[in-house]
Amino acid sequence: MTADNWSFVFAAYGLALVVIVTYWRFLVRRERELSEGDTLRRHGSGMPEPQTEHRSP
Amino acid sequence: MAFGLAPREATQGNVQRIMYLHVPSVWVAYLAFAVVLVASIAYLARRSEGADRLAHASAEVGVLFTGLTIATGSIWGKPTWGTWWTWDARLTTVSILFVMYLGYLLLRGMIDDRERGARFAAVLGIVAAFNIPLVHFSVYWWRTLHQPPSLMKPGPSTMPGVIVAALLVNFAAFTLLYVYFVTRRARVLRLEAEAEA
Repeated sequence: MTADNWSFVFAAYGLALVVIVTYWRFLVRRERELSEGDTLRRHGSGMPEPQTEHRSP
Repeated sequence: MAFGLAPREATQGNVQRIMYLHVPSVWVAYLAFAVVLVASIAYLARRSEGADRLAHASAEVGVLFTGLTIATGSIWGKPTWGTWWTWDARLTTVSILFVMYLGYLLLRGMIDDRERGARFAAVLGIVAAFNIPLVHFSVYWWRTLHQPPSLMKPGPSTMPGVIVAALLVNFAAFTLLYVYFVTRRARVLRLEAEAEA
């Protein structure tokens, strides 16, 4: 019977999970920073906020 | 899928379950670099900033998954081959692929002129793509320790249906993850460009 080497399996899946979650968090954080910066610039320059809601007539 | 549906492999034991992570990772790397190739050609033809952002985002995600492929392959190699690393044709060519696209990302960061950087990166993105078939077919062209492909090859698969099914589900999941990451990264790149303007 072959040894199962579960520690290697968990190491591989654990590493993948850490890498994927870290990259996802980097993208979310960077996007939030840039969106906030964009909002501040619009306030500072007196530019109107982009319309996000549809107004009824 | 890798733990629930897929059975314990008779020769290698449960360590073979790393395949359900390793093979979809390299699939995403191939896909990402193929997208870099197409987007780079589109950029050179039309000078479209969207194509440039797609190439940049796809290259970054491709480097991430190539790194993951190398790392998981190394972890799988230790119990099955008895070594973490060997200068086998497949491992060497995939390392070259990783370094080339890492260079692609560094090149983009080094050139201040955005248009010039995008142009140079597009040329490198096209040249580096020639390494993809070299990686894939290296196991046929040279004697290697790495096994030949079981799924991404011409002709029917020799693997049992349940293993193929689990692998295909992971292929689909990783492809969706790739699309999600590239979409978000391209959006971040657009916001960065707007912030700099």
